[in-house]
Amino acid sequence: MIAYLSFELIVQLVVNGILYGTIYGIAAIGLSLIFGTMRIIFLAQGTMIILFTYFGYWLLELAGIDPFVSLLIVVPLSMIIGVLLYRSLFKESAEMDDKNASLLLAVGIMFLVNNLMLVMWSANPRMANTAYTEVVFSPMGITIPFTRLIALGLAILSAGLLTLFLKKTYLGMAVRAASENMLYATLVGINPHRVNTVAFAIGIGLAGVAGIGVLQIVPFDPFFGFTFALKALIALALGGIGSVFGALMGGILLGLLESLGSFFVGGGWAEAVAFGAFLLVLMFRPEGLFVRSVKKA
Amino acid sequence: MKDMKTFYTGLVALIVLGLIVVPFSVNVERSYLIYFLFMAFIYVVIAQGWNVVGGYAGQISLGQHAFFGLGAYTTAMFWVHGLLGTGADYYFNPLLMILSGIVPAIVAIIVGIPLLSRLRGDYFALGSLGLGEIIRVFFVKGGDITGAQDGLHLPSGGYESMLPYYFVGLLLAVLATVGVYFIMRSRIGMAFRAINEDEVSASSHGINILYYKILAFAVGAFFTGVAGSLYGIYIFHVNPDSVLNINYGLYPILMCVLGGSATIFGPVIGSFFMAGVFVIAEQHFPMIHPIISGALIVLVMRFMPTGIVGLKSRLQRD
Amino acid sequence: MENLLLEVNGIDVFYGDVQALANVSIQVEQGAIVALVGANGAGKSTLLKTIAGVKQPSRGDILFQNQPLCGRRAEQVANMGIVLVPEGRGLFANLTVLENLKLGAYPVKARAHLQESLNRAFELFPVLKERVSQKAGALSGGQQQMLAIARALMAMPDLLMLDEPSLGLSPLISKEIFELIHTLNERGTTILLVEQNVNQALKIAQNAYVMKTGSIEMQGSGLELLANPEVQEAYIGKRWSKT
Ligand SMILES: Nc1ncnc2c1ncn2[C@@H]1O[C@H](COP(=O)(O)OP(=O)(O)OP(=O)(O)O)[C@@H](O)[C@H]1O
Ligand SMILES: [Mg+2]
Repeated sequence: MIAYLSFELIVQLVVNGILYGTIYGIAAIGLSLIFGTMRIIFLAQGTMIILFTYFGYWLLELAGIDPFVSLLIVVPLSMIIGVLLYRSLFKESAEMDDKNASLLLAVGIMFLVNNLMLVMWSANPRMANTAYTEVVFSPMGITIPFTRLIALGLAILSAGLLTLFLKKTYLGMAVRAASENMLYATLVGINPHRVNTVAFAIGIGLAGVAGIGVLQIVPFDPFFGFTFALKALIALALGGIGSVFGALMGGILLGLLESLGSFFVGGGWAEAVAFGAFLLVLMFRPEGLFVRSVKKA
Repeated sequence: MKDMKTFYTGLVALIVLGLIVVPFSVNVERSYLIYFLFMAFIYVVIAQGWNVVGGYAGQISLGQHAFFGLGAYTTAMFWVHGLLGTGADYYFNPLLMILSGIVPAIVAIIVGIPLLSRLRGDYFALGSLGLGEIIRVFFVKGGDITGAQDGLHLPSGGYESMLPYYFVGLLLAVLATVGVYFIMRSRIGMAFRAINEDEVSASSHGINILYYKILAFAVGAFFTGVAGSLYGIYIFHVNPDSVLNINYGLYPILMCVLGGSATIFGPVIGSFFMAGVFVIAEQHFPMIHPIISGALIVLVMRFMPTGIVGLKSRLQRD
Repeated sequence: MENLLLEVNGIDVFYGDVQALANVSIQVEQGAIVALVGANGAGKSTLLKTIAGVKQPSRGDILFQNQPLCGRRAEQVANMGIVLVPEGRGLFANLTVLENLKLGAYPVKARAHLQESLNRAFELFPVLKERVSQKAGALSGGQQQMLAIARALMAMPDLLMLDEPSLGLSPLISKEIFELIHTLNERGTTILLVEQNVNQALKIAQNAYVMKTGSIEMQGSGLELLANPEVQEAYIGKRWSKT
């Protein structure tokens, strides 16, 4: 295998990893926000992503709306769904010390949505096709699909907007404060339900972005969601909970691990490598690889 | 107090007695009731396993499916590769079933040392989820030893009746429940509870936190592995999708929380309830069965987040 | 008394089955410093947390500006003008000094005066101005306490509650903090102060309560209690006589 190894190949693998990893990154940012204020692992994140992928698919097939135009519909819709999810389901359990109820709610949603998709769209893998799905750039012998490039742009754009929101607005600051310590946040007058709602709206909104990103990149089926949630969790752990930049980098790192890993050690083992890295980081650098954090005051 | 205890003991004895009689009053081979009860017994065992580690000791494990799979695979590998000797009877072999609990318990100890010493709370939950997935990869990639993606086929020629499955399941469910009862009344159980309550104060009372966390993790793994063994013998085809399914990591949590975790009978109630839902949905609405189950989980968690047993105490307090 | 700001009437508070407060009543007058002293575990912090809405009393009621507080959540109480600086200071360690200060002005009516409040905070605490963009967790203990108080003031509270502000500070810094509390009070802030440093606390308090195992044991003006031999014996001793 090593005999085939060329510089171009390595670069190609790295580029693939980065391009694909950014989608993991967006998913991870969403998880991170929800985990931040509510301390729950929203296991249904991946399933929500694939749900929005199917929404985009429908908009394309039934109404002929270009996937990237459909962002204008899917993202607001997903944010509304996020708000509804919190208001109708998570609000009560968010107040309990015991996080099992919230965790199981997420599991229930995953089950429910997953199987709804199965009934509606069957288990056959699908992929969207547009005029530019096949368009490829080849600078210096490296292949870069146009759709992946757009997905990369989307990821960077949404991470940038989110960072602006979190740093520059009062509400964003409140979200960060609540992620650090919800009790202290309430003492300065922050309403926990308000920040939780915001976290859910943005978290699920990002699932919408990621969902559209996936649409033209890989074949997807309803079961893809859970795998995706696991990947997002790994990315999150690699990057460190509570940092937008970290989560994005974590996603990219995971993309690289997978891309290089499946080339050098083969598909299945690459997954074990990714999970192994996940465990090691959790154990030895729980704050993530890309974050410098101050110990609690 | 004393009266209540006698009452409960009597009630339990009566229910167990009833369950012993059931197979003699229905057509065992064709009855959905028997199938339902058999699945409920298996769920009770894995739910009690989670109850020890997640409910009482408070270490939320999301990786119990790894132990379930390990138990099933241990049984299957011994059987298929004839590791107990050629003349041995592998069907419900008690030695093999215990071994199928010990292997996961040993794995729990080995991985528990690094995981539990370094990860707390949510981070342990995440870590245990990762663990389950890694173990899955090992079985998928295990070549001929594990049968890879296709898994291992057990010789199904020995199957005669559902009856032995039923009784072994009942026995395991009773043993698991009684086991949890005695563990939780012992000093060990005291230590589990103390850790759940407040780690800092537990350790200042001289409790070795890591030791007891690992012990709880191992006990949970043992229960789950034995259940996996029985399930493996039942399905005859042990493969990553059937026994290393994340569902076996999530069901026990669901059942414990539904019934009331960190109680003796909560997991039992939760297991019977969910087994009932699964079986009915499977039978009457096969197409949308998982949708109903999912919707039910959401509804229950939304409206009774402390479970059925919790609901009772909540009502009593008001 | 028409200038009564806060009235706690016979409250009971439990942690699970453990009773932390039994039939506790206190009163805080507009413009006063009221001190709350007592041994460890007497329930001082619990009382402040209950007023702040973090804990709910199972019996009794709390009136603030003649409005009942019971049943209100912590953020609602904060928005009504009661701010608690909790034990451990309650800062957001990973946020900058400036962000912490801005969050202090989170209640809508305080946000309107953000700029003035910031200027005032920097005038009171010039050190903070030099460190606006540092993370709060990187400050020294004394600076953190100042930031915590400065942040509380950003809300322009009608009642400021401080839980052991001198805890863990050197005698010199702790003296500064007491002077600061005194100054704030002279500028018109009503303060409810919990302190282990009983001597200092009683000196600046118009009114004080001594708590013991969940109940109010004594009550009087600061100077009265300071002169009371029982209080001297139990809470002051030699240790504090110099500071
Ligand atoms: N979170 C809690 N859970 C259970 N019991 C608690 C909790 N917090 C406080 N207590 C108990 O309530 C009682 C009062 O505690 P509190 O913290 O109010 O005392 P304090 O007067 O502030 O003491 P200190 O001077 O040590 O700060 C103590 O007996 C304590 O053990
Ligand atoms: Mg205190």
